[in-house]
Amino acid sequence: MSKNKEETLKIIKGEDAWEPVGPTPLPDITDLRNWSMRLLKTYKPFYAPFCDLCCNCTYGKCDLTAGKKGACGIDIATHQARWVLMQCCMGLSAHGAHGRHLIDYLINKHGKDYKIDLGLQVDVEAPIIRTVMGLKPEILGDLRTVIEYVERGLIHLVSSTHTGQEGHYLDFENKSLHAGMLDLLAMEAADIAQIAGYNYPTSIADTPLVELGWGAIDKTKPVILAIGHNAAPINATIDYLQNNNLEDKVEVCGICCTAHDVTRRSDRAKVVGHLARQLFFIRCGIADVIITDEQCVRTDVPEEATRAGASLIATSDKICYGLEDVTEKEIDEIVKMITEEKKQVLILDPDKAGEVAARVAIAIAPGRKKEFINEKTAMKLAKECNGCNLCSEACPNLLSVGKSVKEFADGEVDKLSETFKLCFTCGKCEQKCPKNIPIIKIMQAVATKETYKMRSGRGPIHDVEIRQVGSPIVLGTIPGIVAFVGCSNYPKGDKEIAEMMDEFARRKYIVVASGCAAMAAGMVKDKEGKTIWEKYPPGFEAGGVLNVGSCVANSHIAGAAIKVANIFAKLPGRANYECIADYILNRVGACGVAWGAYSQKALAIGTGFNRWGVPVVLGPHSAKYKRLYLSRKEEDDWNIMDGRTEKMMDEYVEPAPEHLAIVIESKERAIVSIAKYCIRRNDTPVGRQIKLNHYIALYKKYMGEGFPDDLHLFIRKPTDVPMFFKREVMDYLKKIGWKPRQQVGLPTLINTYPTKANIADIK
Amino acid sequence: MKPYWDVNVLTGTKTAKIVEDPVQWASIIKKSIRPLYILGPDTVDRNIGDKLFLEYCLDVAKAGNLPICATAHVRKKMSEMGVETDSAYDIIEIINHLKDPEWQGVRKEGNHDLIMFTGVRCDLAERGLATLKHFAPHLKTMALCRFSHPNADFALPVIRKDTKWQEYFDGLVANLIN
Ligand code: SF4
Ligand code: SF4
Ligand code: SF4
Repeated sequence: MSKNKEETLKIIKGEDAWEPVGPTPLPDITDLRNWSMRLLKTYKPFYAPFCDLCCNCTYGKCDLTAGKKGACGIDIATHQARWVLMQCCMGLSAHGAHGRHLIDYLINKHGKDYKIDLGLQVDVEAPIIRTVMGLKPEILGDLRTVIEYVERGLIHLVSSTHTGQEGHYLDFENKSLHAGMLDLLAMEAADIAQIAGYNYPTSIADTPLVELGWGAIDKTKPVILAIGHNAAPINATIDYLQNNNLEDKVEVCGICCTAHDVTRRSDRAKVVGHLARQLFFIRCGIADVIITDEQCVRTDVPEEATRAGASLIATSDKICYGLEDVTEKEIDEIVKMITEEKKQVLILDPDKAGEVAARVAIAIAPGRKKEFINEKTAMKLAKECNGCNLCSEACPNLLSVGKSVKEFADGEVDKLSETFKLCFTCGKCEQKCPKNIPIIKIMQAVATKETYKMRSGRGPIHDVEIRQVGSPIVLGTIPGIVAFVGCSNYPKGDKEIAEMMDEFARRKYIVVASGCAAMAAGMVKDKEGKTIWEKYPPGFEAGGVLNVGSCVANSHIAGAAIKVANIFAKLPGRANYECIADYILNRVGACGVAWGAYSQKALAIGTGFNRWGVPVVLGPHSAKYKRLYLSRKEEDDWNIMDGRTEKMMDEYVEPAPEHLAIVIESKERAIVSIAKYCIRRNDTPVGRQIKLNHYIALYKKYMGEGFPDDLHLFIRKPTDVPMFFKREVMDYLKKIGWKPRQQVGLPTLINTYPTKANIADIK
Repeated sequence: MKPYWDVNVLTGTKTAKIVEDPVQWASIIKKSIRPLYILGPDTVDRNIGDKLFLEYCLDVAKAGNLPICATAHVRKKMSEMGVETDSAYDIIEIINHLKDPEWQGVRKEGNHDLIMFTGVRCDLAERGLATLKHFAPHLKTMALCRFSHPNADFALPVIRKDTKWQEYFDGLVANLIN
């Protein structure tokens, strides 16, 4: 696709001279292909097919097992890569359309010239948009330009998944990486739009601690529950309640990211919990009105709302549920349809939907009975269980749920209580039960009713914070930035997230969270009754634990890494993707952890982080994404250029980061690996000592005595060896015949492959 | 045969041969030249009856002189028990190595020709077995797991009772020694 230079400069306002325009403004799919291919040379795609067949076109089904090709000529690896691209495009389109909706809505409200102001602490307002596109967004209208660019890219990406298009897995992977990059771009535009348009907190670190947990919801009040990711309608409910002095008379709460965003609007709103508590909470019947918006909302909400006696208002063109569109009707009439005729409705005007929800809740709540079922009633229901365990077989989290139900029927509560903590409340067990036992309802009796706290989302990392921590991050004396992101498909419950975050915060890493992970982490208290949000400071600093916000706020985590390059190291960022990504890969010790990633969006986000050079650790369920990016540390190409001399280093250079996307089976192993994946080739000896000190200490704690079998690969000179383990490590190194080697000056991949990037920029 | 977990139901055409008899299982292992036994975290997180799952597996490894790859955090328990492991890659990493026919294996004697899994989380093990089925035609895979694995070359039937599972281990150990 050839690009018109003048047109490009017009789109990115090239005459606006905040920085010279770099080599790749508005990159197309092939403009950054060489960067992708260079990454993929070291971090090769690893495929784990979920299904051996392809049924994408009417030539099929085709059996692609072990070397067989489809009727179109495709093999299993390329087919997996195509699947991954399709899924990344689904994720990208979800964030893109979400951003498009919010931006159009806010432009309608405030006008396209409405200024973007992220407060005194944030000058570099949109590091991703600046670096990828070359555009500095100043007004809401500029964010629409971003979404238009994303939409243009998406159409090309999706087209290449059609039968008879792309034919090589590596090119599919370049496209997935491109989709991931666009995904982060769309998310940044969406979050900036909502911060500006809704006055969400920005430029402050200690955002309010909001209430978390279904136990925190006041059942005596009318309760409005929002589910999804686009807070426009529920924010309109807040506005209506505030304008009518009703805020303390109605309980507003949310599940999933819309909960994050409504608490950024009003800290009186509450968070019920993450995605996996959806069916559980709906079935509790505590919500009087359910507002659905978009993404990760159960498709059976209409049926479940009816069953729970709750009213339902769908508000998004993405999820219409077959309902009557009443957007054009008068509010009074809609309220009557819901309260008297018991209709579920679709209202596509967020402001109208917000008001209707409030009025309906107030009208119907007094007539509804809202209680969790008690243990006695639950045990009576469980008595029917015959112990057949068909429910267990159906459980996607491999839980022995049948056994727990049977024991509960016999009076044993603890096992079911433990099972609930690991359960996604997906409902698959119930569907299999020949006795129709309402397992999820029974779980109400054993679920904790505790109240927790979560720090509400704070948006971008501040430029001042970056200036303060930039140097220790790059030198390695802050051992790393660990970002816990993504969904709640956890193998062993919320507890593991809180434990992992605590381990790294205690060790003075910078710990960031977002989305469902931020909620899960808050659902656990320490011995003193404090959640992680109450225990650690909220700044982007050593030992800080911060919540950037909802899924779309994940963009600020990538943004922080970019800002380290652009603000601290002063690398030109404008349309200079490869230089900045190369800097992050080699010098910013950041690691993403998506321990419960389930959605296509999470795949796109993770892939986007990978293209920026940030490794991502995934939990065991994520093997079902079918693709990872792995190296083999002893065999792969770790050659790198010393940017100062522009000479290739001919000695073995450490495998850092070792993988870009890896599934790890257990929390214990993940903790040790995350510490290792924060090592960068740029670490100074002091920084490397600190990182290795944590790597060794965590290894001994979780993997047993001795040393990691790859320790020697990360020790360049004796000065890299942590003081605490000095003698022991030096003896070990001697035993295995380790030899010292040079430290690379300015490690870079630029110019080690064909690139338009300018190596002078990295110096 | 349907595996125990619904999530592992095969969507494909090439499925495991079910080996019900430990004598036959032992003879497949014995015929291999460079086998590898991969132990996952269930072996340290669960008991079978009163005995730690791992102890059964170590008996098998000892009887068959099988090199071990201890994945996840299994190494810790092994070192507490005074048993050394030949390698401690995590599950995805060892599979990634096994795909390469030129890889020299955990004992640097050449890649393995037979891979046996026990105690890896069942949905993850099944994905790993799928990778090897498609991309590692140079080796055979065995899932020594009571929940059954269709993507392996050889799998057990679903074994519901602890006592039967213990009997299978005992039979296997006895036949590996002979
Ligand atoms: S897309 Fe190719 S492999 Fe898939 S069904 Fe059609 S011909 Fe077969
Ligand atoms: S509801 Fe919970 S126990 Fe039931 S199948 Fe889903 S995850 Fe398993
Ligand atoms: S399927 Fe129903 S009857 Fe069978 S064990 Fe589960 S809860 Fe009990």
